[in-house]
Amino acid sequence: MIDDEYFLAALRLASGHDPIPAHVSAAARQAFALRVPHAVTACPAGYNAARGVRGAESPQTVRFVTDALTFDLEVTVGDGLIDVAGQVCPPPGEGCHVDIRTLHLTLTRRLASTGQFAATGLPPGWLSVVCHRPGHAPVQTSWVRVRP
Amino acid sequence: MPDPRQLAELLLAADSGDQSAWDELEARFGPRMWAVARACGLNEPDAADAVQGAWLRLLEHLHDIREPAGVGAWLATTTRREALLLIRKSRSAPAPFEVAHDPDPESAVLEADGNRLLWKTVSALKEPCRSLLTLVASDLGSRQVAVRLGLPIGSVGPTRARCLEKLRTLISLQETVQ
Repeated sequence: MIDDEYFLAALRLASGHDPIPAHVSAAARQAFALRVPHAVTACPAGYNAARGVRGAESPQTVRFVTDALTFDLEVTVGDGLIDVAGQVCPPPGEGCHVDIRTLHLTLTRRLASTGQFAATGLPPGWLSVVCHRPGHAPVQTSWVRVRP
Repeated sequence: MPDPRQLAELLLAADSGDQSAWDELEARFGPRMWAVARACGLNEPDAADAVQGAWLRLLEHLHDIREPAGVGAWLATTTRREALLLIRKSRSAPAPFEVAHDPDPESAVLEADGNRLLWKTVSALKEPCRSLLTLVASDLGSRQVAVRLGLPIGSVGPTRARCLEKLRTLISLQETVQ
């Protein structure tokens, strides 16, 4: 029965009863500002919730990989906001920074020599990190949804 | 069916930074993506989240969409997968990551020509299927559908499934004949 949704969607679409809200269309159009030209996308390679722990405070670890870089992100949701602690491996070296992006807020952090970075107080929702290295194409993680 | 070359041009232009091309993609495919998310049973905030997720996936894949003519189907499939991930996640377990790489063949029913065929076929169905599918398309809940059609509430789900199965069979037959 997995394809029933498409039939129902087609019926709903044709009925015109539940049109797409204007703010949803507007958000989709605004998302174009998040495009990173020539970026390489790091794909998710693993996902772990803290073992044996459930609840808003338990960190989740997500790994993203490309041929050149690995991103490990530890995401914690508390008080309705997101904290991100991450590491880029191998450490890209001097002069590199990351953009930690949500739909409405981007924070920039210079990478430590260890490749580590952190950001706090981000709004929940879609999240992506972009690593900028002089002389290389930017590398962005795939977008991941983080919710309380 | 949209002109594939036009879609290829739109994708190319968007990949080059043309906001108006992106807006045109949204105008063309946003409504059906919304319909898919809502048909999966999501409320408005979650449907908005699923639709946004699908657009973000397209941003990631702008340069490597293999078949531009299929981008509408790809977006519909991606929306559905984002919606199902949301549903799965809300039922507890952490969701594995899934990105739609190939469109589901069934999503073709969302194309404009498919829409006309679909409603023509629905109107040819016998009762209660014709009325039931019309009511379901109007976003009425099971209780209201049951009251309007004089059915026990417990039979709305199974009846809907049978009606959709009939619809699917009829459309397959028509496609075979064409």
